[in-house]
Amino acid sequence: MEIAFWGVRGSIPAPGPATVRYGGNTSCVSLRAASGGLIVLDCGTGARTLGMSLMEGAFGQGRGEASILLSHAHWDHIQGFPFFVPLYQPGNKFHIYGGAKSSAMLEGILEGQMAPQYFPVQTLKNMGAGIDISAIDEGKPIAVAGCTVRACMNPHGRAGALAFRIEDGPRAVVYASDAGYGAGGPAAAAVDLYRGADVLIHDCTYTPEDGRRYAGRGYSTVEDAVAAAVAGGVKRLVLFHYDQDYSDAEVDALCARARRLLDERGGRGIELQGAMEGATLKV
Amino acid sequence: MKVRFWGVRGSLPVPGPKTERYGGNTSCVEVRSASGTRVVVDAGTGIRKLGKELVEEEAGHSDVHLLISHTHWDHIQGLPYFSPLYQRGNKLSVYARKRDDLHLQAVFASQTDDPYFPVPFAEAQAEIAFRELSDAAKFEIADVKVACARLNHPYIATAYRLTADGASVVYVSDTAPFSDILFEDEFVERPPSPGAALPAKDRQKLAKMRDGVVRLCQGADLVVYDTMFTAEDYRRIPHYGHSRPSDAVDICREAGARRLVLFHHAPERSDAEIDNILADARALVAGGGPGLEVEAAYEGLDVEIGKS
Repeated sequence: MEIAFWGVRGSIPAPGPATVRYGGNTSCVSLRAASGGLIVLDCGTGARTLGMSLMEGAFGQGRGEASILLSHAHWDHIQGFPFFVPLYQPGNKFHIYGGAKSSAMLEGILEGQMAPQYFPVQTLKNMGAGIDISAIDEGKPIAVAGCTVRACMNPHGRAGALAFRIEDGPRAVVYASDAGYGAGGPAAAAVDLYRGADVLIHDCTYTPEDGRRYAGRGYSTVEDAVAAAVAGGVKRLVLFHYDQDYSDAEVDALCARARRLLDERGGRGIELQGAMEGATLKV
Repeated sequence: MKVRFWGVRGSLPVPGPKTERYGGNTSCVEVRSASGTRVVVDAGTGIRKLGKELVEEEAGHSDVHLLISHTHWDHIQGLPYFSPLYQRGNKLSVYARKRDDLHLQAVFASQTDDPYFPVPFAEAQAEIAFRELSDAAKFEIADVKVACARLNHPYIATAYRLTADGASVVYVSDTAPFSDILFEDEFVERPPSPGAALPAKDRQKLAKMRDGVVRLCQGADLVVYDTMFTAEDYRRIPHYGHSRPSDAVDICREAGARRLVLFHHAPERSDAEIDNILADARALVAGGGPGLEVEAAYEGLDVEIGKS
């Protein structure tokens, strides 16, 4: 499997000189399975550059196929969708999965973003590619791009966000963005989802200090990310979804702090990196 | 009167090393009269930084009049992140074109509804009022006179002229030129076939719209204009509803405007490309005689016009 990071920021894109190194685009990660199948995790503004890069291959000729897993429908996880160019190429096929009470409701949520008062394309039906949309049943594994995907709902403020475990043969990658655990840390079902993963991409929106200041917003601090990685016994932790106001230097400090915390709290053997726009990671 | 650019980009925010100089935030321009009246045009992501400044400096005494050109994402997506909304004592008045099919307040309420955003509009602590405008509305915001004109853009947009302190600034974004396609509420799927003539009714409507924009820009000290497209973009995708620098120059010349600011840069445009577009526009203006200054909007650009 190969992971690529296209957007690593939370809440709202953060352009400017202070975010050039880690990147200012909102959440979007792609995962190329051993079979060649493509999975896209969330569609923040990073999806725009992913889309442009895909158009250079089969997607540019209308022969592309990908699955899109949406953790939840807050803007920073779907706002790149209307600007994901392969969706406008007839012949391409997309399978979209996300959390909603029904597939029709999930379609309604995506249509809401395309409505004429907000976007000139007016509806998903004008986009050109073949799109099918399915609500995910938590806990029930699905087959996606030759992989097995399981989902688990993490608390996220007043709402929830799905964490995904993608298993490709013996390898497992977990994507857990926007996780606002209670005082006891991740629930047993979440720890079970994270267990032994080769890579855990985890929400790390705040420092512990900002986390206390903004308690209730439903995000993880660096301490929460470390606790999740240690509880799940994962091999590598990737910090993700940084606050929009954190500069590159502040994210550097957040990563250094994560390393110290891992070493102090039983995760000495866990490898660590901060997600960076444009970076790739082989599993 | 002071004009400050907080976001100058179209379509969607584009962070990264190629947009560092001109900026990657979407459309937001602040206009402040000498007496302190604050009018903001559009609420793209650029409005977030303005909001942070207001919360710190005015501590619950902000009074912001927000004129919305139209409600496409790049002109409203920053509003939920405008922190004065969540501070008691602040006032926000939102103005936009009246539509028959949709109440303005509903457009903003849906933006912050579940499942899209965690804090619904109804929970904002500022005092918020909405005012819907006719196509050619004229009204006053304290000492700032506002005049409107309709633009040629999918689902329809509004241009604003703001006059105070003996000076005028006009905001013309988003709009296509007034020649090849008439944009109204329908989805325009493809460009018109080459050489196809427009129906007379559409031509008349476009001519009237263009006259309205020229009148709005008449003698303006500053015109901020949607110049998202190059000539090549316009040949390829005229049905997306944006103008070229040459369209803006034509309108400004006819209106006798003094200064043109190229605005609403395309997301794919690098800093170096905008430098070149600006140089070309300046060369074009120089060829047509003196009298019009041209610059390209960048985040943080401040322009003072009239007395302040």
